[in-house]
Amino acid sequence: MHEGQRNRVMQLPPQLDEKFKQLLSRYPVKRSALIPMMVYAQDEFGYLGDEILDEIATRLDLQKVQVEETLAYYSMLRRKPAGRYHIQVCTNISCMLRGGNELYAHVQKRLGIGNREVSESGTFSLEEVECMGACTGAPAIQVNYDFHENLDPDKVDAILEQLEAGKVPKPVPVISGALHERNKDEVVVISKRFGIPDAKKIDAYLKNDGYKALKKALTQMTPDAIIEEVKKSNLRGRGGAGFPTGMKWAFIPKDSPKPKYVLCNADESEPGTSKDRPLMELDPHQLIEGMVIAGRAIGSHQGYIYIRGEYRYLLDIMDVALAEAYAKNFVGKNIQGAGFDFEISTHTGAGAYECGEESALMESLEGKRGYPRIKPPFPATVGLYGCPTVINNAETLSTIPAIINGGGEWYAGLGVPKNGGTRLYSISGHVNKPGIYELPLGYPLRKLIYDVAGGMRNGKKLKAVIPGGSSCPLLSAEEIDVPMDYDSVAKIGSMLGSGGTVIMDEDTCMVDMARRIMHFYAHESCGWCIPCREGTTWLRKMLDRFHEGAGREEDIPLIDELSKNMLGRTFCALGDAAALPTISIVKKWRNEFEEHLSGKCRHKAADDVLAVAH
Amino acid sequence: MTEQKQIAFTIDGRQVTTTAGTLVIEAAKTQGIEVPSFCYYPGLALQAACRMCLVEVEKMPKLQTACTLVATDGMVVKTSTDQVHKARKDMIEFLLSNHPLDCPVCDKGGECELQDMTFRYGLDKTRFIEEKLHYPEEKWSPLVYYDAPRCILCFRCVRVCDEGMDVKALGVGSRGVQSVILPNEPGTLACEECGMCIDICPVGALTSGTYRYQTRPWEMTYVPEPCAHCSNGCKTTLSVRNNEILRANNRDHSGFNGEFLCAKGRFAFDFTSNPERVRQPLVRRNGKLEQASWEDALEEVARRLKQVHGTHGGSAIGVIGSNHTTNEENYLLNRFARVTLGTSNIDHHRTADYAGLAAALGSRAKESLATMSDVYNAPAVFLIGNDVTNQNPLVAWQIRTGVRHHGLRLYVLNGAPSKIHRQAKIAVEVPKSSLLDAVQYLAKEKGQFDAKVTESLVGLKAALEAEKDIVVIFGAEIQGAAIRELVSLASRFGGKTRFMALGDYSNSRGAADMGVLPNWLPGYAPLSDASERERFGKLWGGEIPSTPGLNRREMVEGAISGRLKALYVVGANPLKTFGAANPDRIAGLELLVVQDMFLTETARRADVVLPAASSYEKEGTLTNTAGEVQMTHRAIDPQGPRSDFDLLRILSHQLGMLGLGAPIRLRTAEAAFDEIRHNVNGYDLSQVNLLAGGSEIATPGLKNAEAPQDLPAGVIFSSNDFLFTSGTLGRYCSRLTSTHEAKEKPWSSSPSTQSWWHR
Repeated sequence: MHEGQRNRVMQLPPQLDEKFKQLLSRYPVKRSALIPMMVYAQDEFGYLGDEILDEIATRLDLQKVQVEETLAYYSMLRRKPAGRYHIQVCTNISCMLRGGNELYAHVQKRLGIGNREVSESGTFSLEEVECMGACTGAPAIQVNYDFHENLDPDKVDAILEQLEAGKVPKPVPVISGALHERNKDEVVVISKRFGIPDAKKIDAYLKNDGYKALKKALTQMTPDAIIEEVKKSNLRGRGGAGFPTGMKWAFIPKDSPKPKYVLCNADESEPGTSKDRPLMELDPHQLIEGMVIAGRAIGSHQGYIYIRGEYRYLLDIMDVALAEAYAKNFVGKNIQGAGFDFEISTHTGAGAYECGEESALMESLEGKRGYPRIKPPFPATVGLYGCPTVINNAETLSTIPAIINGGGEWYAGLGVPKNGGTRLYSISGHVNKPGIYELPLGYPLRKLIYDVAGGMRNGKKLKAVIPGGSSCPLLSAEEIDVPMDYDSVAKIGSMLGSGGTVIMDEDTCMVDMARRIMHFYAHESCGWCIPCREGTTWLRKMLDRFHEGAGREEDIPLIDELSKNMLGRTFCALGDAAALPTISIVKKWRNEFEEHLSGKCRHKAADDVLAVAH
Repeated sequence: MTEQKQIAFTIDGRQVTTTAGTLVIEAAKTQGIEVPSFCYYPGLALQAACRMCLVEVEKMPKLQTACTLVATDGMVVKTSTDQVHKARKDMIEFLLSNHPLDCPVCDKGGECELQDMTFRYGLDKTRFIEEKLHYPEEKWSPLVYYDAPRCILCFRCVRVCDEGMDVKALGVGSRGVQSVILPNEPGTLACEECGMCIDICPVGALTSGTYRYQTRPWEMTYVPEPCAHCSNGCKTTLSVRNNEILRANNRDHSGFNGEFLCAKGRFAFDFTSNPERVRQPLVRRNGKLEQASWEDALEEVARRLKQVHGTHGGSAIGVIGSNHTTNEENYLLNRFARVTLGTSNIDHHRTADYAGLAAALGSRAKESLATMSDVYNAPAVFLIGNDVTNQNPLVAWQIRTGVRHHGLRLYVLNGAPSKIHRQAKIAVEVPKSSLLDAVQYLAKEKGQFDAKVTESLVGLKAALEAEKDIVVIFGAEIQGAAIRELVSLASRFGGKTRFMALGDYSNSRGAADMGVLPNWLPGYAPLSDASERERFGKLWGGEIPSTPGLNRREMVEGAISGRLKALYVVGANPLKTFGAANPDRIAGLELLVVQDMFLTETARRADVVLPAASSYEKEGTLTNTAGEVQMTHRAIDPQGPRSDFDLLRILSHQLGMLGLGAPIRLRTAEAAFDEIRHNVNGYDLSQVNLLAGGSEIATPGLKNAEAPQDLPAGVIFSSNDFLFTSGTLGRYCSRLTSTHEAKEKPWSSSPSTQSWWHR
């Protein structure tokens, strides 16, 4: 027995020790604290060395390999030191369309280091990263956790110069594109507090209808009545799949002896999407209020907000807001004297797109690798810790207070049949006014581009649209006369998706677009199932080669076929998400593939792009 | 058991009725329909990761994974449509995109599931022209190697290590296409080294350090054997080429151990080729053991035995038998001792009180002994003493698997912590010295314990009494009268109760059953019973002395004191156990003869050493601790040594010519087993199963239950081997002793997952 030796622990800085203890108190299962512990430890030490991992394993009663395998899954966690300033340049689609690749090439040259390398002095390290949710401020970088948006090489130079001089430049005060003059067509429901000074503080929130809905739900409504109201609202999931929220809540068994959980999916990471970010940044209490109401509706007493690791500053904002809400008894025991208890904790991810998939998110919350689970059983019966669980997107939950206040019918009436209310769009790419806009369901895509987003930049012609995140089949310029609601967009063969609308002009190389999209899915494939793991990588390699000019005629049908060989056969939807846009690009822009065979590329700086693509 | 609901569904046009809850992939098997899969492995958690088992189901738009799809009433499944065939072809194509096509030089070639699947379902060409991923091969331990490029990430190894072994030494590193399997501690693994991960690997990713790159599988012959080490008797299949054992594994899963083997069964066959093996007879001349011819050596033994017998009589001779020799050899040794040499001084190292259990159960033995399968199938198990993870790994596996598969309830009463306690519903630990008192307490509620222990004992008693069908398993701590106590306690549990005594070695049970005991004849026929003496005397052609003999300890003491004049030792090392200090001959003894494989502490002091064959080198039967009898086979020729059977047989002829006893006429182990079947209580076994490689349970019990007798301390005791030791034999298995874990004793009874890495 090695009990004595087990107690030999690393001496931790008191704050970290305190944080670890706090984390352990948040979950019914110790291992759940693993990822947050690693994130906070990495913040402290710059990387995760043997000793601290040993310490964490000891505290959580885990084998070393269980810690290592979890760490290895999450792209933000590292076993070796990074630079003091870790420069992360996004080259995913929204940033790519606005010069992300050029920016990345510039930083490489300027710092003299490549991807995942550390400068000799240890001041800088560089990483090419996937979409970080700054799409409306593209191109963007993160310096450690700080966002810098709307950049160009000169602005980056200025940032790097400051860092070299030992000064930390101020990050963007607020996500770009959230605060703007309202378009006349905007119907402001969940973004109504955007722009109100200190709206994230509870006092401002309370002055602006805050927690009214919660009081109403607790004192005037039965749990069933809440669910009924949400059903009436025709609210559908804003994460992308569009499942009716009220129905999802109604699936929770009423007679289960197990605890029930409410999870907020704030792992926003669908490329082109940055709309949950402003909701948490500018109006965190709205989300908290929505969660407590959801908890009341399904009889849950514990909620978790799973926030993607890249949104580290939002974790802090949410923690502050939660502390305020606890202090004023809108969360916690016997809320507002109504005899209802509900606890909420934040939980950080650490860099994994797949954790946006609901069951993978639960695995991740349980401190494991973010592999999706076999369904059925569905989360409503077997979710977090094997208990009935409601999991909703952050925007979906943020909508709940408005529905309770205004009534389901009112909310439904804002949209079109079966597609109630409004939603946020984060519009990015080649438009004049990239930004975050709240519009009713059913709003015409053409107007969204040409009116709301200010039309095409530099008067260029529109070529293609991703309606809601890079998982959607792309629409051509001829297909934009479609109302933006779940059913209409599905009817023309795409998806309304996550609200991340990406606009591409005539100069965009669609082969390059297909290549970049596949890079993302290959990078984010969890590796669980064969077709996705092998298919995305094979396609990535082919599309790289093709875009470099080494394509063969037979590659064009092969790209199409391999995508279709993944489609519908993978474990989770990530395989479909990789296949669908690719199939649509080969189908609609096959001519561009053919042009590549003769050495032509529509992209002005294709060679530069290629030089940095690896 | 409650009647389970039946459902009817259609598969490939056939109507199938099956139990509700059956997976389509399993239902298909019953119809002889193969649904291919890599990640699906019966008994382990479902994955649906490899997507090879996709099938068409009516009214479902997408193909479904048969490994997770539960058959329901009216479901219509098609496993052989164009769509399904294409899906399989596509999956193989994806899988091969990064898989090295090095089958001609791959260790797994010829027995690789990927190779077979590609042959059956795959494409005959590749469309992948990109660069494949490559990683260097890793040596995880001297016994386990990992070649990442060949790994198809089916995660069977991770699951068997976690779910099956409860060791959790493997995990998954990186993500996506870069995913690899991670070891707990590179270079040493820090695990139980069971090698289950190697066996379960469908491809050549995990290879055995002892076997890799030595041969092609089709160049070998495969010989099933009961393992030569512990008393659980797992079936291991030896892979033999050119009279050399190259591998032991468990691919056909036909033994009662299913897929299980521990490090000993899988790797510790190398004693057969150990360079220290004695291959020629040795005779002491001028104080030194020198090589001699078989003729000279046997003549010497016979002549000197006759001399001692003539001068001092049979009672001056002692015979110590083995825990490893076959039933037939033990039976012969019994006859040799009692009839040829005319002595009752015969015993062996008793590691469990099998005779005590037989006595306590009496005629109820037949329905009251539990098999290894019973342990798995039982609704409840009560385990007293022993560290099963280390000492009886199959018993531990059966318990763990039962808990995992059907919620077996494990109750433990132990004098030390043990890893198996993790699976227990109730585990009560008491000081080692008060284990018997605790049994007493359960039986009679008598005894003094501190409040906390008393409380848990009360809880344990209540839980046990509520069980209706329970298997009671106990170690050597429980012996003599305590067994009687336990049996009577168990008779008060609600319903059916079965028992298993845990011994140490491959034929510990068989040695007892065959009467290698001073006061018992084969089948626990009491030596004191004149009719039994007469029965066996008639069979063996001589008179059986009625005086009870000396036990093993007394014999060694007698040898040292000079009370005994000759000691005949077969496959045992008693001088090591009792630590005779004299490094040379034992002065009081006129003759010490040892039949053994190695120059053990005992053999080194012998006057004549006759080199013996191991159980992997001869025919016969072994009886495991549960009473399950299996056949051994001559997998290889021992090249020099002879079977103990032949040695005893030949010697009886030599002695016969000198006028001592009648020669043994049984010429083969088969003939001896026939005699056993007809004459030994509880061994009237059907041979059909045995010849087919299966097992039969022997249930020797006394005609009338009688109180087991308490024996003096030091007669029955366990060696407390752990996973990397195996008595004297284990010292000659360099693969066991060379593992990092053998030196570190990482598990040593630790109940915690933490035992190894917080060193």
